[in-house]
Amino acid sequence: MIPEIGQFALALALVLALVQSVLPIVGAARGNKLWMQSAWATSLGLVLFVGTAFAALIRSFIVSDFTVANVAENSNSLQPLFFKIAAAWGSHEGSLVLWVLILTIFGLSVSLFGTNIPAALRARTLSVQAWIVVGFLSFLLLTSNPFDRLIPPPADGSDLNPLLQDIGIIIHPPLLYLGYVGFSIVFSFAVAALIEGRVDEAWARWVRPWTLAAWTSLTAGIALGSWWAYYELGWGGWWFWDPVENVSFMPWLLGTALLHSAIVTEKRGAFKSWTILLAILTFSLSLLGTFIVRSGILTSVHAFAVDPARGIYMLGLLAIAIGGSLALYAWRAPDMEGGGLFAPISREAGLLINNILLTVATGIVLFGTLYPLFLEAVTGDKISVGAPFFNAGFIPVMLPLVLLTGIGPFLSWKRADLMGVGQRLKAIAVVSTLIALGIWYLTTGGPALAILALGIAVWLLLTTLKEWGLRIKLFKAPFAESLRRLRSLPRASHGMTLAHAGLAIAMFGFIGSSAWKTEQIVFVTPGVSVSIAGFDVTFEGTQRVQGPNYVADRGTLTVTRDGAPVTTMYPERRFYPVTRTGTTESAIRETLAGDLYATISVPASDGAAERAWTLRILYEPLVSFIWIGATMLLLGGLMSLSDRRLRVGAPRRKARAPANATPAE
Amino acid sequence: MAFWFILVALGLLALLLVILPLRGAAEPLADRRDGAMAIYSDQLREVEGEARRGVISADEARGATLEIKQRMLALNRSQVGPDYNAAAGGRKTLVLVAVLVPVLAGGIYFSLGSPGTESLAFADRQDEQADAAEVDNLTARLEQRLMDDPQGGPSEGWVLLGRTYMRMGRFEDAANAFATLAGREDVTADILSQYAEALISLENGVVTPRASQVIDRARELDPRNPAGVFYKAVALDQQGKSEAAHALLIARLNAAGALQPWMEIFVDQANRIGMTLGKSMVELASFAPEVSAPASGPSAAEVVAASDMSESDRAAFVRSMVERLATRLETEPGDLDGWLRLANAYGVLGETEKSRNAFLRARDLAADLSAEDPRVSAIAAGIAKAGGE
Repeated sequence: MIPEIGQFALALALVLALVQSVLPIVGAARGNKLWMQSAWATSLGLVLFVGTAFAALIRSFIVSDFTVANVAENSNSLQPLFFKIAAAWGSHEGSLVLWVLILTIFGLSVSLFGTNIPAALRARTLSVQAWIVVGFLSFLLLTSNPFDRLIPPPADGSDLNPLLQDIGIIIHPPLLYLGYVGFSIVFSFAVAALIEGRVDEAWARWVRPWTLAAWTSLTAGIALGSWWAYYELGWGGWWFWDPVENVSFMPWLLGTALLHSAIVTEKRGAFKSWTILLAILTFSLSLLGTFIVRSGILTSVHAFAVDPARGIYMLGLLAIAIGGSLALYAWRAPDMEGGGLFAPISREAGLLINNILLTVATGIVLFGTLYPLFLEAVTGDKISVGAPFFNAGFIPVMLPLVLLTGIGPFLSWKRADLMGVGQRLKAIAVVSTLIALGIWYLTTGGPALAILALGIAVWLLLTTLKEWGLRIKLFKAPFAESLRRLRSLPRASHGMTLAHAGLAIAMFGFIGSSAWKTEQIVFVTPGVSVSIAGFDVTFEGTQRVQGPNYVADRGTLTVTRDGAPVTTMYPERRFYPVTRTGTTESAIRETLAGDLYATISVPASDGAAERAWTLRILYEPLVSFIWIGATMLLLGGLMSLSDRRLRVGAPRRKARAPANATPAE
Repeated sequence: MAFWFILVALGLLALLLVILPLRGAAEPLADRRDGAMAIYSDQLREVEGEARRGVISADEARGATLEIKQRMLALNRSQVGPDYNAAAGGRKTLVLVAVLVPVLAGGIYFSLGSPGTESLAFADRQDEQADAAEVDNLTARLEQRLMDDPQGGPSEGWVLLGRTYMRMGRFEDAANAFATLAGREDVTADILSQYAEALISLENGVVTPRASQVIDRARELDPRNPAGVFYKAVALDQQGKSEAAHALLIARLNAAGALQPWMEIFVDQANRIGMTLGKSMVELASFAPEVSAPASGPSAAEVVAASDMSESDRAAFVRSMVERLATRLETEPGDLDGWLRLANAYGVLGETEKSRNAFLRARDLAADLSAEDPRVSAIAAGIAKAGGE
């Protein structure tokens, strides 16, 4: 009964979304208040009904109701409760329900919290958002029904992919979706503005919190995904330039550009075209990402062609959403009023370069991600475009950008004094160069690119701190005054400082763990020792451990440094009998200086001695800085989101916004 | 009953939500001009503050202030949109739409859902799990008995064991059971193709070299064995020899002469392969002009095809197969193996009573078999499981 109620709730949601697709936008065009107001009730209904469906699905997973095909295919009665619940969005169908749920939650948030947004813009935005809901709900019901029934039910379910049975992967998709889907509302705002024919400073301000919220969630999602890959995949890497990663990274890159571009629109009324286009493209890339991950095209273009129903449907949605919005853009954008003028050296110009570099970087990632797919479709050859391509294409674009990120905040609007900025930053340039050279000396001839990059990261960190110091007159004024200035600084300004410094700190981690990683792969029998990065690691043997739905061989590694005990590590090799797959549980000793990372697996070659295990042990310097930096980026986003200015014009309680001040002139 | 009640309640809730704005919203709608003006005034205050704190120079502050004030003026001069707060009407449309919501949703639901299908929590299926454990136990005992037999156990016993494992989805065990028979004198093409099927199922549909060898042996024994031909075609197709696979299927269909149950699957498979080759579709009717001899039980090929179907299709397919078998047994009541198959099939479908009756029919036929025959114990176990005499 419960699954059927879930399905009926989805059907109701689809029809409500259809209503919301039409009534508010027509109401806005005709000046019908009633129809415009129906948007908030329908958006509430959407959350209620999609939420009901999601709850029904989760309930089916909790009680292991194998009459639901989705449950039977992605869950098992032996799974711990936690993973049973998580399996609800570990499956294709379930993850789409979550996608739509988040989509509707964003719609409702605009209804509830967007009270400072003009009614007509809000009504149009909510209608556009409902178009997306209709697209995805129909996709869900017609091609990926999560409530398809299975009668008679199988004796037991076929378990969730063991790789997904991990805490990181459970939180990762919802956050990633928050980001992906969050950009949907920005997209809706952009399309609504194009329909309305009005993009101005106020519009940019109304859209900003939504962009920030989406960007922050996407940052968290990507960071968690990367953290999961590091812990769970057992490679010791945190980024593989894998298509699934790339498709989440592209919206982030463009979203970052959008965030900055919208500031210019808000402050100076310029870059309107850029901002709108970036809003459209960011969500288009989110859709593309969903398509690539969900259509199965990655596993094999051939497999996709054999069972294309899902892929074709989504490709159709993609074509309508992207094609339609770009066509609308091409039609309406030329009518947009130009914004404020600026000199070639100014903050605007800096942000323009920022937009261009981020767009180029996105283009490079997009090419590297899609090229193998096209090639396979056309010639049938399977190639993989890996790290060398991306490192060669992406890093040279990003390094100048980071350099610029350090300077940007010092530039003033309209016309900046580059000489003055140069004076202020001279010392930092010298220090950064010295540090880079120092590292070069220490590592004697280490990779040139890494040293250069590290210097640039130091530069960004120091310039960011300097800019913050200037704003609060640190050490230039009495401490009490600095403190007072610190408090009166807008939250968004703190947010920027945190985010820019976070990027610099994350870069330490990226560079350190890529360029100075050391690795040992050896066959070990109990008693054998390996030396790595100053540590002596002794393999003591393995023992059998029984988990809830797996059995594991747990290795014991004793780590010493110069004879003194450091720690004991327990890497595991798990086997899940139901899916007949194994996973690697790495053991990691984390310190700020670097992580010691160990995995074991049975030797691949028969020639190895009996009871010998393959021990893979890595030392990754500075890798923790990635997670610290990512957290700072996240906090920066949240800090900006809490800025008072984003709520200007919102009615307090029931009172209307205070009557506006009319300019004296 | 509760289900329909909840359905109606949800539908009504959706209807009410759509007409909610009719209640007459007290709050006036935010006007674009008010909102934008509030933001511009805030920007002005901000510039003042920054100038005071010395973050921007007096010059910059003057420029920025001027710009913001220009925006305010422009906004004041801009055309006023429709006064939404004055507008009314459209009430009838709203009510009509609201009524349509549950109606349309019901339409969508009834075309996609399975109304009235109960949910079944794992914890509520203890009887079934006990049955499954019982079957496991019996199967294990049968296997033990066969293994302990100094002569290696009767071939029928191993076949029964292999088939049971196949039904339980334990393909590896099934393959092992059939493998025991592969070296025997009395091995048939039928047994070998079931062996191949187990091997292929084990690899999720991939024909391994080992499976391929078994198929070839089956075809040496009986080139016309439908399951053997079917898997040979699958193997050929997987090797990229789709033309040959297609030709093989069509040739066997042409040789059939009369309608056989496996032919439908052959036609589907031939068309699936034919599509990638750009061949025209073939029809079942062109190979079997008249319906003749009633069918035997589902062939291996049919079972495999069934596994490609959607769940509801498969359930229907299995039922039609079982009904066909039942009809045939009405005319040929002396087929012991047929009755056993039917009894097991009913057991799988959960029709305990019918399963028991079929087992009882089988017991009558098995009266003069030796006690060693595995079928005898299988019948006894089946009757016990289906609720006794």
